[in-house]
Amino acid sequence: MAEIVAAFGVPHTPMAPGLVEREGPNCETARLFRAVAQHLEAVGPDILIVFDSDHLNTFFFNNLPTFSVGVAGRTEGPNDSNTILTRRPVLVSADLSNQVYRFGVQQGFDLASTQEFEVDHSIMVPLHFLTPRMQIPIVPIFINGLAPPLPAAKRCYALGDAVRHAVGAWSGRETVAILASGSFSLEVAGPKEGVTDQEWMDTVLTSLAAARAQELLEKATTERLLAAGNVSGELLNWIALLGVIGNRRPVFLEPQHGHAYAAWRWDR
Amino acid sequence: MSIYLINKICYLAEHDPELREKLRRDPAAAIAGFELSEEERSAFLRGDVAKLHELGAHDYLLGHLRRYELLGLTREIYTRRMKTAQSK
Repeated sequence: MAEIVAAFGVPHTPMAPGLVEREGPNCETARLFRAVAQHLEAVGPDILIVFDSDHLNTFFFNNLPTFSVGVAGRTEGPNDSNTILTRRPVLVSADLSNQVYRFGVQQGFDLASTQEFEVDHSIMVPLHFLTPRMQIPIVPIFINGLAPPLPAAKRCYALGDAVRHAVGAWSGRETVAILASGSFSLEVAGPKEGVTDQEWMDTVLTSLAAARAQELLEKATTERLLAAGNVSGELLNWIALLGVIGNRRPVFLEPQHGHAYAAWRWDR
Repeated sequence: MSIYLINKICYLAEHDPELREKLRRDPAAAIAGFELSEEERSAFLRGDVAKLHELGAHDYLLGHLRRYELLGLTREIYTRRMKTAQSK
């Protein structure tokens, strides 16, 4: 039986790869990504399920899923141009992505799917730092965190729960880790750009540190998320992660600007 | 609902190098084929990103105009204008 063994959360700041190239391995961003990467290497999962919010690159208003699973054997990215990263192929677990999609739909979670897709910086920046050799196949699960109406936090938590059951019911023998990509308070190119909502950061960090997911679900309304910035709906990826892992305390949680770096391990 | 087309033009500015080049050379000609309202067309051509945002255009997408400095939108000009947008 497949087993979920760990979870990780990181931002996907498009400037981060360029910043680390300029400032070197000892800069704060490099150290924080490395701390999470070391946890990931120690656990050594076979597959990484990634909760991600596409930035209207892979999907657009002509066809915009609230929840979608990338069901394929491979993908490629980034398909947007705001990072120094060049396009690379990425392995996708065809079997587990298919299982998550089918199991979800059959159990009443009406997921969309895409069998031919690319991914943007929000998947490639985390992988660049966490699995630079791109050796671990992913299962991308896209949550609309950018284009209101956003899904309810409770629904995203339930999605995580459904994903946990999908993995548990799968015939594979692989070990699986979860990755959440995104910020808690960030505005890109909007009127509130440059402003971090510190009060919201504190609320989110307190809930994560104390493993009080229910509290966060109550507070993370669409209005509250968007008040913290136009891409702050990316927190929904972290909430889906919490839906998978339940009320576990992180072994590592470090805030930076309007986001954080985190690791949850079952073996510690 | 033609604000969809403003969003689409911004999306294409990022994903369609040919349209991006046209927007650079002759913005009015580049968007002539899009059925925009006069208010949207005029706001777009004068780079009034605050107005476009107020009309419902997604600010993340409008940011593509800044990245490619289209319609005279340098980083400074874009950011200054966007900050004047009235929240919906």
